[in-house]
Amino acid sequence: MIEVLFFFEVVLAGLLAGTMYSLVALGFVLIYKASSTFNFAQGAMVFFAVLSFVGFMEQGIPFAAAFVLTVLLMIAVGFATERLVLKPLVNQSEDTLLMATIGLAFVLQGLAQAVWGVEVRRLDLGVGDFPIPWIADNLGLFVSALDVMAGVVAATLIVILALMFKYTKMGLGLRAVADDPGAAASIGIPLKNIMLLVWSAAGFVALVAGMMWGARAGVQFALVDLALKALPVLIIGGFSSIPGAIVGGLIIGVVEKVLEVYVGPSFGGGIEGWAPFVLAIFFLLWRPEGLFGEKIIRRV
Amino acid sequence: MTAPTDDILKLDQVAVVYNNVISALHDISLTVPRGKIVALLGGNGAGKSTTLKSISTMLAGERGRVTRGTITYDGTAVKDQQPSDMVGLGMVHVLEGRRCFGHLTVEENIIAGAYSRKLSKGEMQAELDRIYTYFKRLRERRKSQAGYTSGGEQQMTAVARAMMTKPKMLLLDEPSMGLAPQLVAEIFNIAQELNKKEGVSILLAEQNTNIALRNADYGYIIETGRVMLHGPARDLLNDDKIKEFYLGISKEGRKNFRDVLRKEAESHSELYHG
Ligand SMILES: Nc1ncnc2c1ncn2[C@@H]1O[C@H](COP(=O)(O)OP(=O)(O)OP(=O)(O)O)[C@@H](O)[C@H]1O
Ligand SMILES: [Mg+2]
Repeated sequence: MIEVLFFFEVVLAGLLAGTMYSLVALGFVLIYKASSTFNFAQGAMVFFAVLSFVGFMEQGIPFAAAFVLTVLLMIAVGFATERLVLKPLVNQSEDTLLMATIGLAFVLQGLAQAVWGVEVRRLDLGVGDFPIPWIADNLGLFVSALDVMAGVVAATLIVILALMFKYTKMGLGLRAVADDPGAAASIGIPLKNIMLLVWSAAGFVALVAGMMWGARAGVQFALVDLALKALPVLIIGGFSSIPGAIVGGLIIGVVEKVLEVYVGPSFGGGIEGWAPFVLAIFFLLWRPEGLFGEKIIRRV
Repeated sequence: MTAPTDDILKLDQVAVVYNNVISALHDISLTVPRGKIVALLGGNGAGKSTTLKSISTMLAGERGRVTRGTITYDGTAVKDQQPSDMVGLGMVHVLEGRRCFGHLTVEENIIAGAYSRKLSKGEMQAELDRIYTYFKRLRERRKSQAGYTSGGEQQMTAVARAMMTKPKMLLLDEPSMGLAPQLVAEIFNIAQELNKKEGVSILLAEQNTNIALRNADYGYIIETGRVMLHGPARDLLNDDKIKEFYLGISKEGRKNFRDVLRKEAESHSELYHG
């Protein structure tokens, strides 16, 4: 019985961690849909965003104001990226765009460290990384309050983004651009605005993920790598699929937690860091388009 | 023939180059009188699509550039506008090959056409109803994923989507491509209806000379980026040279249009050489 409960705990922790991967992966998917580019800079954006947020707070700016300020900053980053990086490269190959996002990653990482310094910061969101007493007492489950908060926040954002994508005018514009940018332009959908939108959304997602992860492990450079776990998520879920990003994130979250707990000790721990990538490689061999990869519709 | 006083579109000696080196249009001059249907005819690679793209400013997206000449649309010089600016001015381009949004439903495709307009829910429904009166088939198919509908339905979806921008001028690129004759006729009937009832001017690029001329008021025949011949559609339809080139084969077999023209240099028809 104890073992079952414990397994349940591990899975739950995995699911909660997984929602955050889903959210970050969603940031990638939006940009991928709008420009067919894997945004290599997403990890750097997470780092840049949360470091700026902590930096603003250190300047004595209150929490809420610092949050709003950072959101605006991330929109500005999106705007600058569209203007200075993507627009001059319009009509270039997807490889060129990928290179550009790699460049952007280095610029953001460098800029963040140049402005705010390199030391690891603590971030206190007012919720600790310890079991919620009520759940522990009544259900006998030990789940971290921070995990629960991160999971709830991420799930809420995912739902909001998915609904916007499906039901708003901007969402329709984005789906149209994802299918055929040329045809979208021909009926007057301004590609520029759509790009700005997805980069702003990705920036917002990056900030939220950075805050949740930073609150647990400290605001530090390692967040960049953590965010790159979205890559296996996308391989499993499919690069252009929103449900894929969500399910893929949950799968990665659960698998890495389960492996960490039950298999990890025989590898000397640290399995979380690489297990998702191994899983992704198996998926690449088995189902390269991902679980939910959109079928390419061809009909003449 | 007296020049029409109210022209919605005028191209004057337009030349276009792709990638800074590939010369696609050399000298295209043409006029679309307001409220008329004008056909732009020519074989593969003649420059029909390029001409339309130079007008709708879709060229920039393909690394093409107008290097000479002027394009005037509804009193505005077309220079470095974006396609969305042209849509704002009431011009819309239905691209070659239909280009529906495959993962969207037929109705979502059509609604996407109204992206540049601010419509309330009620207005949107009224617009959809108006569009479906022309495209009756699409009403039944509106919930289907566009990528899985037939070629004819996709072509209709593309035109319906364009009509949702509320255009004054429609550029249609090869709507007959790959469609059965009956469907082609249906599409051209709709185009006629849109022209008559909505007053939309149409510039129509086609390889299907016959049906295009039967539905147009005026026609231009282009070859390797130059206007070879133009005239009222009825005259072109009855012209022996065109019959010889596009339908019949002369004794020496098929040849290019320039040769046909040269042979008939003494032509006394009222066609205008470009
Ligand atoms: N994107 C492009 N880049 C380079 N050259 C191009 C491009 N598009 C067209 N061309 C060239 O320009 C010329 C005119 O092509 P265009 O597509 O305008 O012809 P078309 O009359 O529409 O032919 P079709 O009936 O086959 O569609 C051709 O020689 C073509 O190879
Ligand atoms: Mg063409």
